[in-house]
Amino acid sequence: MFFHIVLERNMQLHPRFFGRNLRENIVSKLMKDVEGTCSGRHGFVVAITGIENIGKGLIRDGTGFVTFPVKYQCVVFRPFKGEILEAVVTMVNKMGFFAEAGPVQIFVSNHLIPDDMEFQTGDMPNYTTSDGSVKIQKDSEVRLKIIGTRVDATEIFCIGTIKDDFLGVINDPANA
Amino acid sequence: MEKGGGNGFSLPSKEPKSSLKSSFAKGKDDSNKGRKIHFESEGNLSKGGKGGNIANGGKSAMTKEPPPLELKIESELPQNAKPLMDCEAAQILQGIQDQMVLLSRDPTIKLPVSFDKGLQYAKTGARYTNPQSVGRVLEDLRKHGVSDGEISLIANVFPETADEAFALVPSLKSKARTLREPLKDILGELAKFKQPA
Repeated sequence: MFFHIVLERNMQLHPRFFGRNLRENIVSKLMKDVEGTCSGRHGFVVAITGIENIGKGLIRDGTGFVTFPVKYQCVVFRPFKGEILEAVVTMVNKMGFFAEAGPVQIFVSNHLIPDDMEFQTGDMPNYTTSDGSVKIQKDSEVRLKIIGTRVDATEIFCIGTIKDDFLGVINDPANA
Repeated sequence: MEKGGGNGFSLPSKEPKSSLKSSFAKGKDDSNKGRKIHFESEGNLSKGGKGGNIANGGKSAMTKEPPPLELKIESELPQNAKPLMDCEAAQILQGIQDQMVLLSRDPTIKLPVSFDKGLQYAKTGARYTNPQSVGRVLEDLRKHGVSDGEISLIANVFPETADEAFALVPSLKSKARTLREPLKDILGELAKFKQPA
């Protein structure tokens, strides 16, 4: 889910950036530093939407660097356990399938795919029901539920399930 | 990757990480906890098998019926976070992207990949053209004690019936008695805002 949130960060700036454009320099450094990063608490920082305030700078002893506390608003994307997401399938194999919802990668193990869906190999590996009415393959859109998350420095990885009521394929590119 | 990946995931139950090992051993039972870290049950079964039996015997009764996975957005995020519906996020991000085209004097500032993916996702997930009116309709749910996070989730998931909403957002079930009727009306109202596909 997306959130709007206010975050704070101490920006260390080299003196060569001081002067009339100090504010712009701080903001552009902030954008370069935080956009696209992720943390377990906030998820992906997708975009900075505004600067609340930039505090007084503090000179670091021994270096010329100055630290500015910056408060900024941003849009973050964080998956939650128990959240329902719509994701696009990116890869299917016999262990399950991978899907993507925005910047987040999700794996759905074959244990978490309904039992009546069987894996089929071929050019287009897929999971299909015995009557062939429902098929999950690359580029299918599925509605899934997040049951676990793992965050590392640059990506968030989730485990999802479609073995529940009202979950599963929403639109099948093959049938469209 | 299989084992390492599995180990790193946080579990929905409150048990400490050390319980991972024993849960490997129970691949066959249907507890949520056991299943989710199984990429391939046979392989993991044999790996976790040694020494796992004792732990398994003691714990299976407890973990057999895991509590339904509930969304706990409020407790996991700081107070100042405001959940956005996908359609709101799409509007904000689209606005930023349009601005970037005008303001990109500094070529070193690039929108990261996650921005594009986020925007893409928000756009495909956004089923309504007018976030404000959707917000107003869903506002009524707040009177019935539905949290912001739950409201956004309902907006994003777009359930067609009250039953679907209760199944997908289990935390609503506790209020099911008072919520069912208003929710039905609101979902009916929401359907009118749906973007023609």
